[in-house]
Amino acid sequence: MIVDIHTHWGVQWEERTPGDPTEWLSYLDRHQIDRACFLPTAGLFRADQCRADNDNIARMAARWKRLIPVGTVWPSQGKQAVDELRRCLEKLGMRALKLHPWVQGFSTALPVVSDLCQVSAEAQAPVMFHDGTPPYALAEQIGGLAQRHPRTQFVLLHSGLLWNWRSALHAARLPNVWLALCGPHKRALEIFAERGPRDRLVWGSDFGFGLADQIEYRLNLLRRARMDSKLRERILGANAVRLLNLA
Amino acid sequence: MVNSRRGFLGSALAAATAAPADAAVTIDAYCSLGVDREYDLTEKSLLEAMDRARVARAVIAPVDRYLAVDNRAGNDAMRKAARQGRLIPACSVNPWYGRRAVEEFRRAAGQGARMLVLHPLVQGFTADDELVFPLVEAAAAEKMPVYIHTGPPGNATPWQVAALAERFPQADLILGHCGATDFWNDVALAAGTLPNLYLESSMARPFLFAAYVQAVGGRRGMLGSWAPLNDLEFEWSQMRKFLPGEFWADVAGGTLRRLLEKRGPL
Repeated sequence: MIVDIHTHWGVQWEERTPGDPTEWLSYLDRHQIDRACFLPTAGLFRADQCRADNDNIARMAARWKRLIPVGTVWPSQGKQAVDELRRCLEKLGMRALKLHPWVQGFSTALPVVSDLCQVSAEAQAPVMFHDGTPPYALAEQIGGLAQRHPRTQFVLLHSGLLWNWRSALHAARLPNVWLALCGPHKRALEIFAERGPRDRLVWGSDFGFGLADQIEYRLNLLRRARMDSKLRERILGANAVRLLNLA
Repeated sequence: MVNSRRGFLGSALAAATAAPADAAVTIDAYCSLGVDREYDLTEKSLLEAMDRARVARAVIAPVDRYLAVDNRAGNDAMRKAARQGRLIPACSVNPWYGRRAVEEFRRAAGQGARMLVLHPLVQGFTADDELVFPLVEAAAAEKMPVYIHTGPPGNATPWQVAALAERFPQADLILGHCGATDFWNDVALAAGTLPNLYLESSMARPFLFAAYVQAVGGRRGMLGSWAPLNDLEFEWSQMRKFLPGEFWADVAGGTLRRLLEKRGPL
């Protein structure tokens, strides 16, 4: 079983086939991806589209069961963000929260971020972060947040990208930090496999932001990385199943 | 990653026309030769990978330690490895050594180096800092391209390298990694009007690099794998898949060859 922990319903896809991921799903078929965390895009870029995009994500995931809906909120909106998160988790059936400090322009030090972590912990919903980008989305900053919220599960969706991966590896000393192998180069993937938490490594493609098929590249990068086959299988599927409580 | 310029990335889908399997010349624009920390590339393993990928030549640069310190040892190691014939030696000096850096650069150039490598993150400066001006001038005088590693956290951005290219129009500057990942949306705009600024693909990932090349033209693009951090054979196979055929000959070697041969035939 392969679970892609990081895909997006991109703005271009919405324009191309509004509310219909059939063609989008054909890319998953091509690469034998069984399930995918389905993250918004329009709602990440524009606060005024956040609620509608969450609705759209939930609507599609309700019909296409391979999709695991993930919502987003805008921390700069304060209580409204907390309310929207509760709506996502309690009414829309979202399974996780995606936050993008760079694009959404907030610091993990904001008190409202702690509120969001608390609500997520209560719902047993992981908080997924874009990471690897200064000044607000560094792996060590999210690690600090994870240290302050030990009951919340955090996913570093890029494991520090290309240069911040050592910090991501350090953050993963915390039992509530998961690393998505989506961004670092092949050697870093091998180092994560050697030194990282074997039961908290997951895989993602970031497919969907644009129209290009980047699943093949990301998937084969992991397949070419030197690691034992059992671990690779866990990274591709079993760990994500456990993280998301998938049936 | 983010995509606020939708049309730009969208074009990569249409770009997936297979490139020809071979071109007149194939040169991998950047490999780090040596065994140290995360690097584990030997001459033998590099040449084997090149054979598997059908790559004729490769530029070899020292690993991080010898970019930061002990520049001379790194430069000498590249020169020795390049005796093999298929490997093209790059050299590096840390700009903080000042006049001694320029002297070491000239020594390495005299001994056959073909490219100057600067790494602002590892060497500790900002890409457009005046520290590097004497080196860029020296490289231009030697008709040698300057490869600059770019990307986060913010001291090696595409616009900083563009500023250098604007200041030194006689120098050829290579934007290593195209600011990967998070400065990706600056690349085409920063490089757009500067004919002496070239784009190198490693870490930019083939599915994005094809779009950059479409924006600036194949004569300003070059394929680097940055083995061993990436898998050379895989990077080349992916580029063959994603890069439109019309750009292949330039990106796979033609562009870099034109720069390297300003000093004479390879």
